[in-house]
Amino acid sequence: MKKTQRFVIIGASAAGSSAAETLRRYDPTAQITVVSDEKITYSKPLLSYYLAGKLGEEQLFFRAPDFYERLGIERIHARAVGLLPEKSTVELSDGQKLKYDKLLLATGAAPRFPKVEGIHRDGVFGLRKLEDAQGILTRLPKTKRAVVLGGGLVGLKAAEALKERGVDVTVLIDSPHALSQMLDESSARIFERIFEQNGVTIRTKAKPVAVLGTKEKIEGVQIASGEVFPCDLVVVGKGVDPSLELLEGTQIRKDYGVCVDDYLRTSVENIYAAGDVAQARDVLRGEPWINALWPCAVEQGRVAALNMLNKETIYRGSMRMNSVQFFGVPVISAGLAVLTPGPLGGRPGEHDETLEAQPVPGIYRKIFLKDETIVGFVLVGDVEAAGVLRILMERRVTIAPVKDELLELGPDLGRVLPLIIENKERFVEREFQELVHTVGV
Amino acid sequence: MERLFCDPRRCVGCRACEIACAVEHTPSKDLFVSVLNRELGPPRRRVQTVGAQPYRVAIGGVVLSLGCHHCDPAPCVDACITGAMHKEDGQTVCDTDKCVGCWMCVMRCPYGAITPKVKAIKCDLCPDRREKVGRSRYACVEACPTEALFAGTFEEFQRVLAEPVTAVWEGRQ
Repeated sequence: MKKTQRFVIIGASAAGSSAAETLRRYDPTAQITVVSDEKITYSKPLLSYYLAGKLGEEQLFFRAPDFYERLGIERIHARAVGLLPEKSTVELSDGQKLKYDKLLLATGAAPRFPKVEGIHRDGVFGLRKLEDAQGILTRLPKTKRAVVLGGGLVGLKAAEALKERGVDVTVLIDSPHALSQMLDESSARIFERIFEQNGVTIRTKAKPVAVLGTKEKIEGVQIASGEVFPCDLVVVGKGVDPSLELLEGTQIRKDYGVCVDDYLRTSVENIYAAGDVAQARDVLRGEPWINALWPCAVEQGRVAALNMLNKETIYRGSMRMNSVQFFGVPVISAGLAVLTPGPLGGRPGEHDETLEAQPVPGIYRKIFLKDETIVGFVLVGDVEAAGVLRILMERRVTIAPVKDELLELGPDLGRVLPLIIENKERFVEREFQELVHTVGV
Repeated sequence: MERLFCDPRRCVGCRACEIACAVEHTPSKDLFVSVLNRELGPPRRRVQTVGAQPYRVAIGGVVLSLGCHHCDPAPCVDACITGAMHKEDGQTVCDTDKCVGCWMCVMRCPYGAITPKVKAIKCDLCPDRREKVGRSRYACVEACPTEALFAGTFEEFQRVLAEPVTAVWEGRQ
């Protein structure tokens, strides 16, 4: 009889849940344990919707509340505090020791707080955990003015949510423009204007140096120029760093995150990593990277689980991409070239051609090319074409024959189907193969 | 699982499937009532011309009707931050009550098969026609005047593709 496998997963968000689901799908008898320091499993990207009052707490579940129970998966509410690979054991904060045959690290990431004076004052929040959002909501009745540190996606979603709650919001951004990790300058300006039109103050090149206040009360944020922005609440949205605490004292190789190979295995046997903690293949950069994004985490969780089940599956790699709406205006951007140069950004010279169009007011499209392949794009207002552009970029298809039509592509795959047929070896998915076969007749 | 396929030899690009699909997803399910009441949403299939220039000439102006492929694994399901997009008996279904319109699914679907219109709108395999059988099981298939649209497994569809295209017309006479 086959021995019952013991799988332990640390983390119950996108990657952890997806891995647990996959393990159960293919191994009905395995003993699966998910450890999380959070009591419930909820969707972190929805926290800004919760903060804005658009969703209630019960609407934050991305899986049914009885998801683990129904799948016969044990979910332990504790913190993993120690990892002993030589004993195949994880130690938990409640004193339990869990033995594993295969372990998945899906510990995610934690908000990066700038190292400035007063940053740990009461009233300074990240927006990563439900308790952060709840903390902000508790303070809301006493909050007239808020300062958001960081003009990235989380910072701006928090600013929008607070504005919708009737708070006066100022966003302080170090970079020369908002969304510098997601958009090029001209696209970002569109959103800076949208925020201003909706009554949110955006200040770029504003580096915070101190959070001012007393023990009980925040009074304001001071920036490098000396200027002070008075406020009662501060939200920090300056990106996240992978949560690597569990690796301490182990031989698991890490760089910025946990290093994994194309099977999402770490350098230590029987230990895998997925999600925001895993530094995995990036299809555009050609070097491992963390694209801390929900869809990537879910896919990695599934691929890691398949490999934990000895169903050898290569992780194709992720790339930087994101989709978001601000004040009803959608934007999708993906790829490298849209980034400003910087430690976490792209490198200059990564594109040699830019296609740009503003067919009607409110709609803006920009596509970055290098050697006739798409290396990045930004779609504002009308995002329908994103999926087709993304797959052409991901599979590095030469778009020369359709270059003149690329900006008007829309969502129709048909127009680029010949490119897919020509490169059919890169479109291995069953659905693509069926389509190629159908049109090839 | 039964899925929908389009035989490009038979598709003439009439877009009857598009309008039938849009009408099927209205409260009245009646073309004229839905137009009068402005109930029509976007179609969940689109007739598409294969190839941009110079391909359009080379392939001879092939048109076909495409929609959701109900992939497994489905990139849109992976992408969904709310759990709205999910698998149900092999089908990819969007629970629009849960959808918040983040368009992660639109970003991930390589077929452009999801329309972002307040909610993520996509082929739902006509849930209101579950009781129907044959070509009337799906609104688009029923509406297709040249029987280019086919419901079944891909293996069954391959057999259709292997037959000469005239077989349909002969069967009709």
